[in-house]
Amino acid sequence: MSEAACHALGLAGFGALATAAWATVLYDLVIVLVVLVGVLSIAAGLTWFERRLLSFFQDRLGPNRVGPAGLLQPLADMVKMFFKEDWIPPFADPALFVLAPAIIIVSVLLAFVVVPVTGSFVIADLNIGLLFFLAMSSLGVYSVALAGWSSASKYSVIGGLRAAAQMMSYEVFMGLALTGVVLLSGSFDLNRIVAGQRGLWYVVPQLPGFLVFLLAGFAEMRRIPFDLVEAESELVAGYRTEYSGMKSGMFLVGEYLGMTLISALIVTIYFGGWLGPGLPGFVWFLIKIFIFIAFFILVRATLPRPRYDQLMDLGWKILLPLCLVNLAVTGAIILAVQR
Amino acid sequence: MTTAFLTNWIYVAVFIVAGAAMVVGILLMSRLVYPIHPSPEKYSTYECGIEPVGDSWHPFAVRYHIFALLFLVFDVEAIFLFPWAITFRRLGTSGFVEVLVFIAVLAVGLAYAWLKGALEWV
Amino acid sequence: MGVAREAVEVVGELAARFPGLELTVQPTADEIPTLWIAAERAREVIAHLKTEAAMTYPMLYDLTAIDERERSHREGQPASDFTVVYHLLSLEHNRDVRLKVALLGETPTLPTITGVFPAAAWYEREVWDLFGVGFDGLPVRPRLLMPPWWEGHPLRKESTGRGTERGRLTMSSERAAEWQEMLAFRPEDWGLEELAADPEVMFLNVGPQHGGTHGVVHIAVGLRSEEIVSCVVQIGYHHRAAEKMGERQTWHTFIPYTDRVDYLGGVVNNLAYLMSAERLAGLEVPERAQVIRVMLSELYRINSHLLFYGTFAQDIGALSPVFYMFSDRERIHDITTAITGARMHPGWFRLGGVADDLPDGWQELIRDLIDYLTPRLDEYDALVLGSRITRARTKGIGALDTATAIEWGVTGPNLRAGGLEWDFRKKRPYSGYERFEFEVPIADGGDSYDRVWVRSQEIRQSLRIIAQCLEQMPDGPIKSHQPLAAPPIKEPGTMHHIETLIDHFLGVSWGPVIPPGEACLGIEATKGNNGYYLVSDGTESAYRSRIRSPSFPHLQVLPLMAEHLMVPDLITILGSIDFVMADVDR
Repeated sequence: MSEAACHALGLAGFGALATAAWATVLYDLVIVLVVLVGVLSIAAGLTWFERRLLSFFQDRLGPNRVGPAGLLQPLADMVKMFFKEDWIPPFADPALFVLAPAIIIVSVLLAFVVVPVTGSFVIADLNIGLLFFLAMSSLGVYSVALAGWSSASKYSVIGGLRAAAQMMSYEVFMGLALTGVVLLSGSFDLNRIVAGQRGLWYVVPQLPGFLVFLLAGFAEMRRIPFDLVEAESELVAGYRTEYSGMKSGMFLVGEYLGMTLISALIVTIYFGGWLGPGLPGFVWFLIKIFIFIAFFILVRATLPRPRYDQLMDLGWKILLPLCLVNLAVTGAIILAVQR
Repeated sequence: MTTAFLTNWIYVAVFIVAGAAMVVGILLMSRLVYPIHPSPEKYSTYECGIEPVGDSWHPFAVRYHIFALLFLVFDVEAIFLFPWAITFRRLGTSGFVEVLVFIAVLAVGLAYAWLKGALEWV
Repeated sequence: MGVAREAVEVVGELAARFPGLELTVQPTADEIPTLWIAAERAREVIAHLKTEAAMTYPMLYDLTAIDERERSHREGQPASDFTVVYHLLSLEHNRDVRLKVALLGETPTLPTITGVFPAAAWYEREVWDLFGVGFDGLPVRPRLLMPPWWEGHPLRKESTGRGTERGRLTMSSERAAEWQEMLAFRPEDWGLEELAADPEVMFLNVGPQHGGTHGVVHIAVGLRSEEIVSCVVQIGYHHRAAEKMGERQTWHTFIPYTDRVDYLGGVVNNLAYLMSAERLAGLEVPERAQVIRVMLSELYRINSHLLFYGTFAQDIGALSPVFYMFSDRERIHDITTAITGARMHPGWFRLGGVADDLPDGWQELIRDLIDYLTPRLDEYDALVLGSRITRARTKGIGALDTATAIEWGVTGPNLRAGGLEWDFRKKRPYSGYERFEFEVPIADGGDSYDRVWVRSQEIRQSLRIIAQCLEQMPDGPIKSHQPLAAPPIKEPGTMHHIETLIDHFLGVSWGPVIPPGEACLGIEATKGNNGYYLVSDGTESAYRSRIRSPSFPHLQVLPLMAEHLMVPDLITILGSIDFVMADVDR
């Protein structure tokens, strides 16, 4: 976290202590913990948000018994999960079986490091932020593929293999879609990408790129309509069929973290991030994020699921050529304008 | 710049450690409180309530490998495109044309795979 | 009961084609030509009737057996310990023929007809399973409905009818493990050694505990990559011995059991059962009761189709429709509750009529439902069928052409999806369906999309029929005054006249005694043709109550539809053929 970030948080007083190395370390740990807990709480809160919103779309009430408006439901779920028997099947590969859910949580959390909440509030203002995000999100595939493989159950293995092919493919399209934005902004730094959108959000010049990124986002999040790796009417629970208790809960949290991350990235890259009139930057940021989260939930309430080969067809036969054309056209236009 | 760069990476490292510690912590805490009641049914593979036939680690679907190869080709392409994209304005028209040729070569590759039926699933 | 003109024709033709063939004609209450032939000639006669006869019968409607050893009224029938009954149907000529084969001895066997009708496979296994009548060429594990460890054959008359007569069952962990072992799928039992030896083929158990199978059915699929190369369907997990219960319950008390056969069909099952029972009893149902029956049947048809529609959408991944449709079903349940007092299983039809008259204000309820549901249906079509993803998932998936469908005994919407306009309500009107105006929706592809589309249209036609019931509801009695109507109507003088009182008392406590005879009158149930083949031996219960359910043949044809597709397509097909496991296993 930069010094400016400390100011933003009104913690300038800490500057005096910063000379003491120990205090700095302590302070950093506290901040990191605050962010960790904050992001995880959002993910937990989303379980409530999604269930209530989904219920609203589906003419029913949803969880409304635990606490006011059911707000304590995530807490109750968490307590329940803690007390659930969490066994490692004797036929599974124990090391990978435990590692898989850990990878998904850590990799998604790490990707949050580069997301600028405001111009000055970002944990690590990496000048290769965009690449860092892509790297972290490709780690997600290890989690799902290893979970499926290590479970040694046929449904899990099929789910894991599907996950590997699906997430890897869409990783490519995601990266290629983002190249267009890099062309426009000339930077991988997410804060500079946001700053570049002061006049016009990138969604306008990069509409095809945005659509590809959005679809790839669905595939990376493994949400309906692209939840084929755990399609319950076909694969029971896919890659996590054999998981139970807290480890299963981690996949759940990982999914909601992923949804928050993708929403945050879409907002940052295509919808001007924290930019907006009147309200403080982080408020705009949160508002935009929740609009996208609500959109993802609406899509879940609406669409059926394509078949696996249709998903791959869409990617390789439509999205990939679209990405390449988008890149060429964007480059040509920028050159023409420069002339 | 260099200092800021390093500091930023230290934060990333701290985040990795803290995140991993948290995962381990949650699993350990859960381990302390959850009950353990083993039974043969619980420890059997889930396959809809029927004993599985054969091994789950099974030679499976060469299709997946083809997609892995395609992934490799096009992800490497993306890696080449990123440095170009960031220096795009400096490279100008000549750089743009070179990249178009590069994309065209790969597009031919994609078209070949497509026509050969490598993208068909079944 | 007489020998119908049709019977004379069939006998004439068979006698000319097979000189020396012994033919005995049995008159039946349903007037279906019923001929006894020798066991060893059955196969060639059936083959002739299927393809060569002047009037061909391309559908094996039913194949079952009767344990005749305790039957008293068999006047004019050849001596038989076990009778195997083949029921063939010609949709083109709208005719039936029933062939009976007399078998002597405790465990007789006879030649299989699977070479003629591949659909006979399950029926023959069922006959062996339940009666111990063997067929040559049965698979290694012939049990179809009973579990593999079962001893005996439950529909034989000596088999016990109550669980309490069998002694206590203790489930030790050793026994559980042993039974679990017996349930496992072994490819070599199904002639799949070749696939089992192929290292690229993986066998995957789909069901019995699986979210996409709509109930407990075990489908063992062989997969090469994700392509289905073999598919073995194992049923019986939902078997509840409904047919055995029919032999123990009185004619009247069996009615509520029928509700549970196609548990989404409610009173439609009652109607199927009563059609045959009333024919045996010679009961005439008053007009008002008939219209009430039609109205309720159509309400339950909508109910069943809505559930189908919603769960189908869920099978292909759309989460919301099922919630909308379930809340719509609640509105229909409100109406059925107001009329019958129950939601899904009212058991409300009676021999000779219905249980009670319609309540005050029923018109309002019906009117509200029609006004509410009609516009909703368009929304559902847009939501489910209008989606491009749905079309990509369903068009051309699991297509069944009409000829194959007929050969495998497919009826109802699944048959109409292929383009054949055949609806028993139109072709063989019962319960006064001829008085209503409605269309029979047909599609032409016979694929999963068409099966769903046909049902979505049928809901509208059902609403049309219900609207006509509302307008044309006649006045009059709701139950027949004939003596065999049950429970008998209590007249004002009943309590004052001892003979009438005794008669009434017996009618209520024992139930009616229905004269000896046989009848099977199929109806257009929610999922296809449902027919109860009832045999009366002149007692207060059925001697044999065979339930010919539509879901049974529909599920049997699954491997044919799923071949060379993928697991998600299998789930699509399962969702689109609209079966209920209780209707398959009975």
